[in-house]
Amino acid sequence: MPRTLLDIFGNPFIATGVGIGAVMTVLSINVLFCIWFERKVSAWIQRRLGPMEVGPQGTLQTVADMVKLLGKQLLTPAGIDKPLYHLAPLIIFAPVVASASLLPFSKSVALSDLNIGLILVFMFGGFAVVGIFMAGWGSNNKYALLGAMRSVAQNISYEVPLLLSALSVVLMVGAQGGGQIEIGDEVIQLNGLNLSHITLAQTSGLWFIVFQPIAAVIFFIAILAETNRAPFDLPEAESELIAGFHTEYSGMRFGLFFFGEYSNMFIGAMLATVLFLGGWDGPLLPGPVWFFFKSYLLIFVMMWVRWTFPRLRFDQLMAFCWAVLTPLAIVNILVTAFALKVVNG
Amino acid sequence: MNPHPAPALERAHDDETYYLNMGPQHPSMHGVLRLLLRLRGELILECDPVIGYAHRAHEKMAENRSWIQFLPNTSRIDYLSGMIYNLGYCQAVEKMASIEVPVRAQAIRVIVSELNRIQSHLLWFGTFLLDIGGITPFLYCFDDREKILSILERVTGSRLTYSYGRFGGVSQDIDDVFIEQTRSFLTRMRKQAPMYHQLVHENVIFRKRCEGVGVISREVAHDYGITGPTLRAIGVDYDVRRAEPYSGYEQYDFEIPTRTGGDCLARFEVRIEEMEQSCRIIEQALDALPDGPVKPAKFIKKLKPPAGEFYFAVESARGHFGMHMVSDGGDVPSKIKLRTPSFSLLSSMSEVLEGTMVADTIAILGSVDVVLPEIDR
Amino acid sequence: MSYLGSIFSGFKTLLTGLGITGKEIGGKSVTELYPHVEPELPEAFRSVIQLVRFEESGSHDCVACMQCVKICPSTCITIEGGKIEGIKGKRASEFEIDFALCSLCGLCIDTCPTDTLEWANIYDDAGQEREWVYDLLKPHEAFEEQYLTTRRAIEAKEAAEKAAKKAAVAKAKAEKAASEAASQEASPEKSDTTSEADS
Repeated sequence: MPRTLLDIFGNPFIATGVGIGAVMTVLSINVLFCIWFERKVSAWIQRRLGPMEVGPQGTLQTVADMVKLLGKQLLTPAGIDKPLYHLAPLIIFAPVVASASLLPFSKSVALSDLNIGLILVFMFGGFAVVGIFMAGWGSNNKYALLGAMRSVAQNISYEVPLLLSALSVVLMVGAQGGGQIEIGDEVIQLNGLNLSHITLAQTSGLWFIVFQPIAAVIFFIAILAETNRAPFDLPEAESELIAGFHTEYSGMRFGLFFFGEYSNMFIGAMLATVLFLGGWDGPLLPGPVWFFFKSYLLIFVMMWVRWTFPRLRFDQLMAFCWAVLTPLAIVNILVTAFALKVVNG
Repeated sequence: MNPHPAPALERAHDDETYYLNMGPQHPSMHGVLRLLLRLRGELILECDPVIGYAHRAHEKMAENRSWIQFLPNTSRIDYLSGMIYNLGYCQAVEKMASIEVPVRAQAIRVIVSELNRIQSHLLWFGTFLLDIGGITPFLYCFDDREKILSILERVTGSRLTYSYGRFGGVSQDIDDVFIEQTRSFLTRMRKQAPMYHQLVHENVIFRKRCEGVGVISREVAHDYGITGPTLRAIGVDYDVRRAEPYSGYEQYDFEIPTRTGGDCLARFEVRIEEMEQSCRIIEQALDALPDGPVKPAKFIKKLKPPAGEFYFAVESARGHFGMHMVSDGGDVPSKIKLRTPSFSLLSSMSEVLEGTMVADTIAILGSVDVVLPEIDR
Repeated sequence: MSYLGSIFSGFKTLLTGLGITGKEIGGKSVTELYPHVEPELPEAFRSVIQLVRFEESGSHDCVACMQCVKICPSTCITIEGGKIEGIKGKRASEFEIDFALCSLCGLCIDTCPTDTLEWANIYDDAGQEREWVYDLLKPHEAFEEQYLTTRRAIEAKEAAEKAAKKAAVAKAKAEKAASEAASQEASPEKSDTTSEADS
C-alpha cells in the first residue's frame, strides 16, 4: 500500500500544507504545459507552426500569456450578482485541487489514500457545475446564461453514464482474485472504491480496458462531456455563445476558469488512467512516469478529438447521452455482473 | 437603450420569452449582421435581421463617377467573388456600348471567374464548418484557397479586390506559368476532394447537424427571389451561365448540380459538386485557349453608351447578380441598381429561422452563405 | 440491430476523421513564420504606386498631362507641372498620391501615355495617420539635375542634328535646283511638271 503524506509527516497540518503545495505546483505546471501542447497539437493537425516566438518552439508562450492575464484590468460588468460573480471562479478552481490530491500516481507514495476515493473524485467533479451556473447566472449576460443552462443539463446528464461505466470497474475490482491480493507478505482486502486498490487489482492481471472496452469508451466520451471539451463544448460554443458562461470574465478571473478547465481535463485523464489503463503499472520505468505518460496520452487524444470534429447540437447531445451512452452503460454493467457471477461462482 | 429600436423590440415582453441581440459584434456572425431573436429557452420564436452596418453607398457612388471609375468599386461589393462582379460589370458596359471583346479575353474571363468561384466556395466550406464547430477543415480549405489566391495574385497583382477587368478585355494576359499552376491546382483539388468527403461529408456529427435543418421551401424561395446554390438545393436548376450564357459559357460542357432536400446538407452537396463543375469548365477553357490580344489596342477611358435602360446578369458564387443600368448618353451613369443574391437570402431568414434552435441559426446562416457587404452595398 | 448498427457506423466515420487529421501530425507546415520570412511577391504585385526610372534618361518621364488625375476614382493624385527652361514640353514639379484614399485599382497606370507609373514591390507598408501622402518625385530628386542636363544635351544634339539635316536638305535642294536650272534650258516642257511638284 502507498504511504500517504500523513504517514510520512505524522502531523496532519504539515501534511495538508505540503499536499496543497505539491498539488498546486503540479497543476500549474500541467496547465502551462497543456495550453502550449493544445496549441501545438492543433497547429500540427492544421498544417501550421503554432507558437514559435517565446522560448524554443514557443514553449514559454503560456508563461507570457499568463503574465499578460495577470497584468490585465479586471472588468466588472454592470448589473451583476456580486457574490455569485466573484465566487464562481473560486468554486470552479477549489474542487480541482481537492480531487487532484486523491489520485494515486505511485505505488509507494500518495497524497492521501481513502476508502471512498472514487466517490470523492466524482463528488468534487460535480462541484464544477455549481461554479459554472453561478458564473452564468451572476454575470447578467444572456449568452452566459444560455451557456450555463446548457452546461448544467449536460454535466448532470453525462454524470450518469460516467458513474455507470466506472461502476463496472468497481465490480471487476471486487471480483479480482476473490477480492484479495497479496503484496509481499501482506494480504489486502480489495475495496472497489479505493483508487489505489483499483490500480493494484490491475497490476496483478490485465488492465481493465481489456475486460471493459465498452465501459472505457463510454467513460472517455463522458469525460469529454464533463470537461466541456469539443465535440461537447456547447457551454462555451464560441460560434454560438461567444464564450458561454465566462463571456463576462476578464484578466485572471478568466485565467482561473481556464486553469479549472485544463485541470479538470488532467484529472479526467488521470482518473481514466487509474480505472482502465492500470495507473502506475508498467515495465522498467518508475510508476509515476508511467502514470503521467498514460495521462498525457489521453490528454493528447482529447485534443486530437477536439481538433477533428464539429460540435453537436444541444438536443442531439442529450439524445446521445440518454439514448446511446446510458443504455449501453446499463447493459454493460448487467453483462459484467452476470459474467462475474458465472466465472466466480 | 437602443436609439433605433428594430420593429420587434417595440412589441410587448412577456415572462416566458426574451430578446437576444446576436451581432453585430459576435465572433461568428458573418460580417456585421445583427439578428434580433425572440427566444423561449433556445427556441427561436421570431427573427429579425438588421442590416446596414457595412453600407458604403456603392450605388450612389456610381452616379458621381464615370463608367470606368466605378470599376474598382465592383470588386468590393462582394469581396469573396470580386472577380465575377468585376468582370460582370465590364461585360454589362461592353454590351451596352457595343464593345467587341477578343475571344482570348473571354476565355481568360471564364477561367479566372471559375477560379474565383471555387475560392469563394472553399471559403464558405471552411466558415460553415467553423460555424458548426469544426475548426480543422477550415484551415485545410484555406490551404487550398491560398493556392488559388496565389495564382490570381500572379496575374492580377491582388488577392481579393482584383480590378482585373477592363472595358474590352482584361488588364493582363495570362502566361504558361499561370496555365501550369492552374492545372496543378485542379489536380490537387481533385485529390483533396475524397479527403474532404471523408472528413466532413461522411462524418456522423456533421450529418446530424445538417440533415433536415433549415429547409427552405419552394414557395419561400419563389417569394423572396432566392437564387444560386441555395435555389439549386431546392431542385430548381436555374443558373445564369446556362439560362443566359455570357462570355462564351455556351461553349463549355458542364452540369448544374441540383438536390431536392432544400436543407443545409443539400446546399452543402450542391456547392461541393459545383466546385468540381468549375474545375471542368476551367479545364475545357485551358484546353481550347485561343491566341490573340486580351484587350483593345487603345485603352478605353472615356465611354458614352447610348441613352437607355439596360439589364445584365451574371452567376456569382452566391447566385444571380444583376445590374440595372440607366444611361443618359453621357460618360457618367444616371443610375446603377445592383441586384445582389445575398440580400434575397437574408430576407428569407426571418421565415426560415422561425422555430429552430440558436445553434441551428448559425448553421443555417453559414450554409446559405451570405456576404454582408454585398447586402449593404 | 439497426440501432446498434447506426451507432457502430457512426463511430466508424468518427474514427476515419481521426485518421485523416492524425495523418497530418508530423507533416510539413504550410504557413510561414511571417516577420522572419520574407514573402515571395509576384511580379504584378500591387502595392503603392511609384514613378518609373527609365534607364536612358535616368529619371521618370511624367509630362504632367493629368490623365491619371482625371481617371482616378478616388481623386487622390495631385500633380503640378510646367515648362522648364531648355527642354521641350511640360514636366511634373509636384506629384503626390494620398494612399489613405487610393484603392490601388491601377487605372492610372493603364492610362499613363508615357508609361511612367508602376507598382512598387512593398508588402509591409503601413501608416498610423489619416494623412498618408507620398511624394512620388522625392526618389527622383537626386537625378533631376542629371536628367535635365542629359535631356538638354539630347535635345541640343537633336536640334543640331535637325539643323544639320535641314541644312543638308536645303543644300540638296539648292544643288538640285541648280542642276535643274542647268537642265531647264535643254528641255523646257519637263521643268513645268517639276516646278508643280515642288510647289
